[in-house]
Amino acid sequence: MREHVIVVDLGFGDAGKGATVDWLCANGSVSAVVRFNGGAQAAHNVVADGRHHRFAQFGSGTFANVPTLLSRHMLVEPIALAAESVALARLGVPDPLRLLHIDGDALLTTPIHVAANRAREDARGAARHGSCGLGIGETAAYALDHRAPKVADCQDIRLLTRLLDDLAHHYAPLISDRVGSITELVGLYREFAAAVQIVGPDALASFATQGQLVFEGAQGVLLDEWRGLHPHTTWSTVEPRHARAMITALGDRPYVLGVTRTYLTRHGAGPFPTEDPALALPEPHNTFGEYQGTFRVGHFDPILLRYAIEACGGIDGLSVTHFDQHTGVQSATAYLTENGVIDAIHCGPWQDLAHQQHLTQLLTTARPVLEDFTPDTIATHLGVPVVLTAHGPDRAHRVPTALVGTAG
Amino acid sequence: MGYGNWDNNAFQAARTFRASRGLDDFGYTADMQGQEYSTWRAHPTLDPRDALRECRDSAEHANSLPIAVLFDVTGSMGTVPRIMQSKLGRLHGLLRHKGYADDPQIMFGGIGDADSDRVPLQVGQFESDNRMDEQLRNILLEGGGGGQKSESYELAAYFMVRHVVTDAWEKRGKKGYLFLIGDELNKPRLAASHVREVIGDRVSQDVAVASVYRELAARWHVFYVLPKQSSYYNDPEIAAHWATLLGERFLRLEDPGAVCELIALMVGVGEGRIDVSGGLADLRDVGSHAEAKAVRRALATRV
Repeated sequence: MREHVIVVDLGFGDAGKGATVDWLCANGSVSAVVRFNGGAQAAHNVVADGRHHRFAQFGSGTFANVPTLLSRHMLVEPIALAAESVALARLGVPDPLRLLHIDGDALLTTPIHVAANRAREDARGAARHGSCGLGIGETAAYALDHRAPKVADCQDIRLLTRLLDDLAHHYAPLISDRVGSITELVGLYREFAAAVQIVGPDALASFATQGQLVFEGAQGVLLDEWRGLHPHTTWSTVEPRHARAMITALGDRPYVLGVTRTYLTRHGAGPFPTEDPALALPEPHNTFGEYQGTFRVGHFDPILLRYAIEACGGIDGLSVTHFDQHTGVQSATAYLTENGVIDAIHCGPWQDLAHQQHLTQLLTTARPVLEDFTPDTIATHLGVPVVLTAHGPDRAHRVPTALVGTAG
Repeated sequence: MGYGNWDNNAFQAARTFRASRGLDDFGYTADMQGQEYSTWRAHPTLDPRDALRECRDSAEHANSLPIAVLFDVTGSMGTVPRIMQSKLGRLHGLLRHKGYADDPQIMFGGIGDADSDRVPLQVGQFESDNRMDEQLRNILLEGGGGGQKSESYELAAYFMVRHVVTDAWEKRGKKGYLFLIGDELNKPRLAASHVREVIGDRVSQDVAVASVYRELAARWHVFYVLPKQSSYYNDPEIAAHWATLLGERFLRLEDPGAVCELIALMVGVGEGRIDVSGGLADLRDVGSHAEAKAVRRALATRV
């Protein structure tokens, strides 16, 4: 029985999943990187051999020449995909689109969703949810009640035209002034379908016979649609249940590798108890986003991280990044809240948004009790072995401290 | 990655996907170059022989505005035709994005030399979507020409007069826009033999060039754009010839890459949607700084 690695961010995102995936792929044993959530809004920075790319839809194993499988849980945005392939080609990846395999059942994110997302977020004004403005939520929401366009539909022009017409019609009250030509879109998607490999459900098993799979999560568990701090969440299952299910369906075993920095970060609105703007930590790749707002940093927070681990159904190992960057960082031992002092928060029943809303309220006014901290204590704080540490941004700065993918 | 202007984003993305399949932007020319010269011919969708081109209103586009762009594909133009072919696909997006025309329908074509070329005239169909892009890819860049400082622009003008019908004109009495892009003179006369051979009309007598352009001007705003990097950019005879025919609609363009912007601006101004300075600001707005500069100079140095 093979063991496949699931890489999942235990915080609010930006912990270093991409770099971790790149490192796992660098030794040549990985047959595919499988994306199991999110879409074009992912931003996984990888620095390897002097090259830097912010991976969004391509898997972070691309520099290592590992194919990407966008699973049916992905939201696929072809315009951004084309732009990303151009960027990768400029960095010396030969014909990047050849590495892409896309499940025909994956939902298509279109400029219509993007325009709707932005129109809605603009209308919220100061009460923004912290959306990236890339149409992810609209794609998921529309698909709940409608026959939404999927990747495989790009192979059937008449059907696709009808689905896009329906979509534009649905959103007309919101975005009629921003609508472009459906014919242009159809033409584009026809080229897209001809340029990438659209695959069926068997693709995963076929990659699994050729080597180890690495499942690359997007965002962080604390943004999970059901376990995150509602409503500041993403329309996506970030915790690894979908990835676990795909692996067990193969008859194989999942190894969940949680990723965290030595401190916490959050890009976008929502509670962040250990936030401390006074922390001066270098941040070369994440900056202010028009729709997300400023990039926030805070102290190490075992309370939130243990909650995230519980939301993952437990994890097997930790990849800790920024091991060299923790000047002034402390660790939270407890929160002072309106309900008194607490040192743990726990998951409620799955899909209980009232519980999540309650946690959000609790954490919005929570003030952390802080103590001194060194990264060496992380395994003890979280009760999970640290198997990989990063002492700089480059692939070469990563140090394995135990064999990844071997329990214990 | 804003999609206020998604037509252009879609166009660029489609092009990336096409390129990854090894289909470059000049597919038809590449195909022909692999064959005997004697067999070269216009792509069937661009062949002017017995052809009629229509620009019609539809339910979706009720106020169609015809815009025709015919560029010289002969050798004296140097690399300019390739630049045209790669840049003009943006035109529709630019017009729509800035609201310069409600329902622009664009036709592309190529002009050569009917005395010496295999394919002296190519004219596509009026389109309002990605098929424009296919038209551009299907234009054959023959690279011929006879070295006598004249090309068959007058033959193209004749085609526009006799073989193009537009709802804009027929229903609304409204002129379309025709942009000729080249670097040489008209032939001394519209030759009846050229019309017969290339277009197929039974014409028995040659016609004076000025009279063809007079007829053309009744239904089209006609511009002649002389781009730099062609052979006769600074030739006073060329300037005098076209200025006599078209007046201030003869324009020199120092950066052929700005052709799209120049056309969009002239249409926007012609349609009363924008004045020149506002149009230049719009161009800078969409990031076309160098293009705005070239367009500004093209307008400032009008003959």
